[in-house]
Amino acid sequence: MFTYIIRRLIGAVLMLAIVSMATFAIFFLVPRLAGATPESMASRYVGRTATEETAKLAAERLGFNDPLIVQYGRYVKGIVAGADYDYGAGVEQCPAPCLGYSFITRQPVFPDLMDRLPITLSLAIGAAVIWVLLGVGIGVLSALRRGTLFDRAAMVIALAGVSLPIFFTALLSLQFFSYGNPFAWAAQGGYYVTFNDSPVLWAYGLLLPWITLAFLFAAGYARLTRAGMLETMNEDYIRTARAKGLVERKVITKHGLRAALTPIITIFGLDFGLLIGGAVLTESAYSLNGLGKYAIDAITNQDLPKVMGVTLLAALFVILANLIVDLLYAVVDPRVRLS
Amino acid sequence: MTAPLDVPESAAQAAPEAVVAGADRKAIQGRSLGQIAWMRLKRDKVAMTGAGVIVFLILVAVFAPVLVAWFGHPPLEFHRDMIDQTTQIPKDRFGGISWEYPFGVDPVWGRDIFSRILYGARISLLIAFLATLLSVGIGTVLGVVAGYFGGWVDSLISRAMDVFLAFPLLVFAIALAGVVPDRAFGLTGDTLRVSLLIFIIGFFNWPYIGRIIRGQTLSLREREFIDASRSLGARGPYIIFRELLPNLMAPILIYSTLLIPTNILFEAALSFLGVGVRPPTPTWGGMLAEAARIYTVPHYAIFPGLAIFITVLAFNLFGDGLRDALDPRGSR
Amino acid sequence: MRRKPALGVSAVTVALAMGLAACGGTSTTPQSSGEPGQPAAADKADAALTGVFNPSTKKGGTIKMANSGDWDSLDPADTYYGYSWNFIRLYGRALTMFPGKPGAEGAKPVPDLAKELGKPSADFKTWTYTLRDGLKYEDGTPITSKDVAYGVARSFDRETFPNGPTYLNDLLDWPKDYKGPYKSKGADFSSAVETPDDKTVVFHLKQPFSGFDYLTQMSVTMPVPQAKDTGTKYQEHVISSGPYKFEKNEIGKGFTLVRNNQWDPATDPNRPALPERYEVSTNVNADDIDNRVISGDLHVAIEGTGVQPAALSKILPDPALKARTDNPTIQRLWYTSINPTVKPFDNKDCRIAIQYAADKTGYVAAYGGTTGGEIATHLLPPGIPGSQKIDLYPSPEGKGDLAKAKEHLAKCGHPNGFETNISYRAERDKEKKTAEGLKESLARVGINVTLKPYPLKDYFSLYAGKPSFVVKENLGLAINGWGSDWPDGYGFLQQMTDSRVIREGGGSSNLSVRIPEVDKMFDQVLQEADTAKREAIYAAIDKRVMEESVILPGIVAKSLLVRGKGLTNVLINDGQQMYDYVAMGIQ
Repeated sequence: MFTYIIRRLIGAVLMLAIVSMATFAIFFLVPRLAGATPESMASRYVGRTATEETAKLAAERLGFNDPLIVQYGRYVKGIVAGADYDYGAGVEQCPAPCLGYSFITRQPVFPDLMDRLPITLSLAIGAAVIWVLLGVGIGVLSALRRGTLFDRAAMVIALAGVSLPIFFTALLSLQFFSYGNPFAWAAQGGYYVTFNDSPVLWAYGLLLPWITLAFLFAAGYARLTRAGMLETMNEDYIRTARAKGLVERKVITKHGLRAALTPIITIFGLDFGLLIGGAVLTESAYSLNGLGKYAIDAITNQDLPKVMGVTLLAALFVILANLIVDLLYAVVDPRVRLS
Repeated sequence: MTAPLDVPESAAQAAPEAVVAGADRKAIQGRSLGQIAWMRLKRDKVAMTGAGVIVFLILVAVFAPVLVAWFGHPPLEFHRDMIDQTTQIPKDRFGGISWEYPFGVDPVWGRDIFSRILYGARISLLIAFLATLLSVGIGTVLGVVAGYFGGWVDSLISRAMDVFLAFPLLVFAIALAGVVPDRAFGLTGDTLRVSLLIFIIGFFNWPYIGRIIRGQTLSLREREFIDASRSLGARGPYIIFRELLPNLMAPILIYSTLLIPTNILFEAALSFLGVGVRPPTPTWGGMLAEAARIYTVPHYAIFPGLAIFITVLAFNLFGDGLRDALDPRGSR
Repeated sequence: MRRKPALGVSAVTVALAMGLAACGGTSTTPQSSGEPGQPAAADKADAALTGVFNPSTKKGGTIKMANSGDWDSLDPADTYYGYSWNFIRLYGRALTMFPGKPGAEGAKPVPDLAKELGKPSADFKTWTYTLRDGLKYEDGTPITSKDVAYGVARSFDRETFPNGPTYLNDLLDWPKDYKGPYKSKGADFSSAVETPDDKTVVFHLKQPFSGFDYLTQMSVTMPVPQAKDTGTKYQEHVISSGPYKFEKNEIGKGFTLVRNNQWDPATDPNRPALPERYEVSTNVNADDIDNRVISGDLHVAIEGTGVQPAALSKILPDPALKARTDNPTIQRLWYTSINPTVKPFDNKDCRIAIQYAADKTGYVAAYGGTTGGEIATHLLPPGIPGSQKIDLYPSPEGKGDLAKAKEHLAKCGHPNGFETNISYRAERDKEKKTAEGLKESLARVGINVTLKPYPLKDYFSLYAGKPSFVVKENLGLAINGWGSDWPDGYGFLQQMTDSRVIREGGGSSNLSVRIPEVDKMFDQVLQEADTAKREAIYAAIDKRVMEESVILPGIVAKSLLVRGKGLTNVLINDGQQMYDYVAMGIQ
């Protein structure tokens, strides 16, 4: 078990390295191939009134003159060992993991990301709670009442849920439940209060995004749970459990649901990991300043350290989520053993 | 990264394990499966409705120019007389919906939303279909290769899939769509943008299907009929093309149908975020993005939103039915 | 105008130009009708435009502001946004300032830190300012002339402070190889800014510059205590010299300002300093800001560029809401460059065909309708001295004259039209709409235009502003816009029409004007002492560019601003062209 985790962690680091290289290549190598010079790349970050000399100085400071390998090496070194940053009047230690400083605002990227993370995390966790409860609940009920009107209706609604683009639902929900409409009960777009400041307002601000996001995911989970339940309920061991006189509720929860949950956990890990990495669409539709919006803004501004940072963080979450899922797997499914 | 867990049970991670079961049954029932599945599908009214809508949408997309010529106004034609010049929104109530403009007109220019939706269908469906084809192509080839050959080939391909799955796709797609110049690979304009979107969407989605196919291949490889064929002296290519692929057709078909709606949403999202096909070419996502800016005119959001919804729903319903039909144990 | 950072300015030429243009800066906008201070508490459209809305001297209260984006920087050396120059006067004092007075008065520099306006030498090459007595920073330490000089010196380092204006960089006589106080530590820069004693600042210019007070009102002359200077991190806590200081500042989220009790009103006749606090949030959704200003939850949309399209369609039909708005005209021209380096625009008649074929009502529509701008037929916006109405290519209501357009097309050898491209900044929806509108109207005479969006960030440096790229990609038309840093014909025209600002490497906002005669006229202006004659030359340049038809003027910008509920002393002047934040108070 222990060696397994170690091995997986090493694998995770390798994958992060590949992800960072690919991101680096897209933003640093592709422009070069397209004919950008160090100065022309730097001129983006020195304002409109810059002279060519200023652009040269900036290219020097940002390290654009070095070969790409050196630039990449420096970036990795910053993450592992920290880096020094010259802020004009002096030099500042940027402690590891140093994801660099924004080319535009000159703020260190890592604290920025940590600042945005709670918003995205709040969004993802709240939505996840709703969608798992709702999805699994409806899925189980549907499976147990297979063929009834409830089942049919639930499954069609579920499919509808998967089929709605989140930016459309967000738009409509804001239109109908916010923006000072007569029956407005929800906060306006962009409303966010930290949990520490006021849990009530925190929930109030995020309720609409939670619901729309959960609606999208709950559907998939309901379908999955239903399929899983239907299948496991036909298994021999369920029949055995019933035969030995177990109460039906126990049969369902202890035997049926447990097996049906296995694929749910897998998918949940992936979904949740991806979501923390940036619920790009939800955040931009609701103007929440989380990691997803951060990523979009960073790309629009060509603020490369920010793009690198947010990509790496997102990848890290997916990888971690996968790891946790695999560990949980061993707990839930006795057939799986970690070697 | 999932190597120790890559037992067939968990192989089809992105998908329910029902498919594995489907393959089991198919092997037993042999060739009549296609007919049985078709019979089942025909009985599934919901799925057939989905299929009907899909056929309808394809026809609409193909004949959009004709339909627009008959019922609408060219998608790029301005009708500024329909627009209030101070507020720049349609003068009439409900966004100018009338017999002449069944879906109303868009703010500022007064373009016919009906014909823009029809033309938007062409872009959406074209990109979704071709991107799916690309994903399925890459996914199948790499999945089969990984599953069949195993060993380091499998490790390499599986790791590649893991890396892809770890990328924040949307972020990446936006970045990529932004850096590609105006003219590349001998293409320009809409052709280039459409090709680019197909490439981005297709290329980033292959690992999902790749994983499923790999899992299926893994389980099929160990089955008796493959063993039999191998013991009769069949070689790799023969086994792959004559024994494996036909048995993989069911999952390929099912996941293609289910990938199309995902890709439609993906394309819409990219257009929504402003990196899709360029204006003034109408796209559903692009129209929604404009509608988001002027949310006081709800009809402008509703029609493209519904268009996306109905299309995606139709594909999902059909794909769902198809899965049920090909995989009897899952439902009935 | 500093609404946006000046577009690809080759600063050397600007300063050179400014040096001789006795930059009077007097606005021709008629003196505001209402007497300043006249009561106007009832909501009335444009009330703050023509006078002072809801005048009051009551102190106290909190003004809440929001920004849909973020400051380029709060550092006085590093900011170039119009709203920032407006707002920075609350926490910083420069040598001179634009006072919070209505109309044209608000665009005339008055002494701030200085006792009086700058004293020039006879040749206008040396300017001397003497500081007032009793000036203190928020920590109680006295402000000296050394701090002003240091502030100017650090703003010289454009690599550290990339965003700020570069006028003083180019105009002052800096030591050779001087790189600012960080990179040239301890170097003597007295050849540029000299401080003979703690009260006196002397600027030494390379060329004569009679309008120097306009430059010293910019935030680069705000004092910075060297001991507290932390380079790029200084923006996290700017040491206040004005009536308010930072209480808390979270970059990317917002900040609060509270009274600076070390600020002595006796030293400052220009700032009423009415509110107790300012609460500013940044990166707030723009539609959200509009809704909250309308509902009263927020007082000011700080960018001052007008409401979003959604709010527009809500406000205009509602008389009660409309009464709370002001709709100032801004000295900014939205236009389209017609590039003569791209075929067939090398032919003048093909260029003129564009003037006649374009439907400018579409330009107005793209910018949100009549409250977003009015049709322009030439370059100089009406508020700028010397602006004369020129309309060489008249058409009914600006909708175009297709017969004339076809006539010119025939003359240039393309009777059935031709193909070309139009570039715009992808992130700007209004420019996208402009391009769509032009495409439609040009198609009426067979000119088929393809839309080419490019990223805003690189628009001038890599794409539309780079001559070789323009030719390679056949960008016949390029959507563009320009406003100068203060109301003056030279500042407005030179950057957009002097061919010598075009750089092969890209970065200039003059994309299409290469007329030797115009260049000569600019040289002539530099030698001209008489204001009236200079203004006549500006009009001549305007006309000459229109004759060559290398610019299609679109609209002169207007913005629709909403007055927050409960605000007092609300006014718009020529200096800010939005609500003046120094004058404003709250009930």
